[in-house]
Amino acid sequence: MPWYLYLAFKQLFPTGRFPFFTAISVLGVTLGVAVLVIVTSVMGGFGYEIRRMIVETEGEIDVKARGYVADPREILAKVRATPGVAAATPYAKGAVAVLAAGRTAYPMFRGVDVNSVESVTQLGRFVNPRSSLAALDDDSVIMSSALANSLGVRIGDKIEIYSPLIIEKMKSDEVFLPREFRVIGDLYIGHQQLDSSTIYGTVRAAQDLYGLGKGVHGIYVRVKDGENEHAVVARLNATTLPPTMRAFSWMESWEDFLWVLNLEKSINFFLLLFIVIIAAFSVMSSLLISVVRKTREIGLLGALGARARDVALCFCAQAFIIGVTGTLAGVGLGFGVLAIRNDLVHGIAKIMQRQDTLRQFYQFSDLPSHTLTSDLVLTVVMSIVISTLAGLIPAWRAARLKPVEALRSE
Amino acid sequence: MTRGDPVLTATGLQKFYQSGDRRIEVLRSVDLTVAAGESVSIRGESGSGKSTLLNLLAGLDSADAGTLAWGGAPAKASRRAVFLGIVFQSFYLIPEIDARANVLMAARMLKAPGAKERARADELLQRVGLTERATHLPTQLSGGERQRVAVARALMNSPQLLLADEPTGNLDEHTGDVVIEMLLALCRETGTALVLVTHNVAHAAKTGRQLVLTNGRLA
Ligand SMILES: Nc1ncnc2c1ncn2[C@@H]1O[C@H](COP(=O)(O)OP(=O)(O)OP(=O)(O)O)[C@@H](O)[C@H]1O
Ligand SMILES: [Mg+2]
Repeated sequence: MPWYLYLAFKQLFPTGRFPFFTAISVLGVTLGVAVLVIVTSVMGGFGYEIRRMIVETEGEIDVKARGYVADPREILAKVRATPGVAAATPYAKGAVAVLAAGRTAYPMFRGVDVNSVESVTQLGRFVNPRSSLAALDDDSVIMSSALANSLGVRIGDKIEIYSPLIIEKMKSDEVFLPREFRVIGDLYIGHQQLDSSTIYGTVRAAQDLYGLGKGVHGIYVRVKDGENEHAVVARLNATTLPPTMRAFSWMESWEDFLWVLNLEKSINFFLLLFIVIIAAFSVMSSLLISVVRKTREIGLLGALGARARDVALCFCAQAFIIGVTGTLAGVGLGFGVLAIRNDLVHGIAKIMQRQDTLRQFYQFSDLPSHTLTSDLVLTVVMSIVISTLAGLIPAWRAARLKPVEALRSE
Repeated sequence: MTRGDPVLTATGLQKFYQSGDRRIEVLRSVDLTVAAGESVSIRGESGSGKSTLLNLLAGLDSADAGTLAWGGAPAKASRRAVFLGIVFQSFYLIPEIDARANVLMAARMLKAPGAKERARADELLQRVGLTERATHLPTQLSGGERQRVAVARALMNSPQLLLADEPTGNLDEHTGDVVIEMLLALCRETGTALVLVTHNVAHAAKTGRQLVLTNGRLA
């Protein structure tokens, strides 16, 4: 070990003394890294949950038709027979106008096939009462609870739905009447983007509203366990589907949304990185103090034949050691906190008597956590690099000292 | 460098300090030759430039004029660790490491110490009477003991020349005598040349050649 590394270690961890200054510097980095690990993991967890919800409400693959498929029976059978496909269910959807108690809204009407929808999605999990999904018929709907709230609609109420088809009929002077539906359940997924205004009904109701006859807009597909959905998408597009239809993985369908989710996480990461940067400033100031305090010893090192470059390395190495120690401790602390996160959250909720609110607000009553290796690597690398950079100014100050002047200083 | 070469050759060394528009001529023209194994003492009034001269001889500071050679070859900072050892009035031990590690620090400047270096450090500590104190931190040692550690450190790399700047300045009279005796004996045994800056006439008298620095010149 070169002398400057040896001395760096010894100055940080002196023989027979508690390394007080080092501990404080390390602690700063530790806290910064721990917060980064915790927040990126929890955000990653929310993201992961949302992704799961998307898949659980829409399946993993969306086969979209250009316009619509007039008779989906044949293509449905073909899709189901495609290797890697576990189940498929047709859907028809479109924007509608809803009138209820004098208020209007323009939600998306999603027509699902009651018999097969649960083989692809787990929609039932998000529906209240759970039985309402199976009970859905051509005159009833399930409404997202956000929409129901804004319209003031309750389960059992009647609503009127107008579709764009009515405009067509108006043009040809036909008489038109809105369709009347009964609300038999509500739906709460747990993310605004997914919950915003949606109405679930049967495919047949959607076909009526849009004048599709027996046609559908597309097919939701679930892939077999262990199958890669991108491979199945490629297979569907290459062989199964006619040119008028195209399969998209859920990631492609939700690309913009996922991008925004990622952006949120990146911004958070960037902001929280400032904690590490502030910790690095404290590393820098404690090393600068150390350079001033040790001026005479630095002079002595020169007298012993040390090169200025090695003196600089001695202080850079100290910053690096603090960075590495703090980062490792921070990763440990972060995972430690994540391991007991639910006890913490429930404890806090209990103290604040808000356990019900918590359960109401997050579908998952437990705090999700999902650590991406890439996030972890980024955190570790950034934190070590930033801490080491903090050693540069002290190192430069130390290297600049002339031995004679350093030795003369009192 | 050949065997006959003097350990140290300084010719016409000059050193000025500029303070405002006044020029302080500390060293006007210093010539000094030290033969291998020789011991030389330099006395002089306070402020006469003894420390300045010693720093120049050690290559820690650069002269404004004159030449300096170590063992017949030009003095260079990169040769310092091998060629010479320095002892100062203040001991300048590294407080985080024990006495033995402080002695070994000189060897570390050249390479990571092995068994041979450790044995030499222990031997030197024994020579300065600190075997029992080898694992003590500097703060656990008395002034005299610290200076003895500093002497052992200066001799660690078996230098050809030892430069000592008032090594007893911070010690009481008796302790100072002990340290000087030790220093002279070690240099004699190892054939190390010594340049000793001191105020103490009795200490100076023990060296082979006594010089005095006055008016920026050695006499
Ligand atoms: N960096 C400096 N700038 C200006 N003047 C200096 C500097 N260093 C030393 N001097 C001056 O040079 C002169 C010689 O100083 P030096 O320390 O060599 O004296 P000395 O002989 O070692 O004295 P002492 O016996 O008190 O240690 C002094 O007058 C001092 O003020
Ligand atoms: Mg002096």
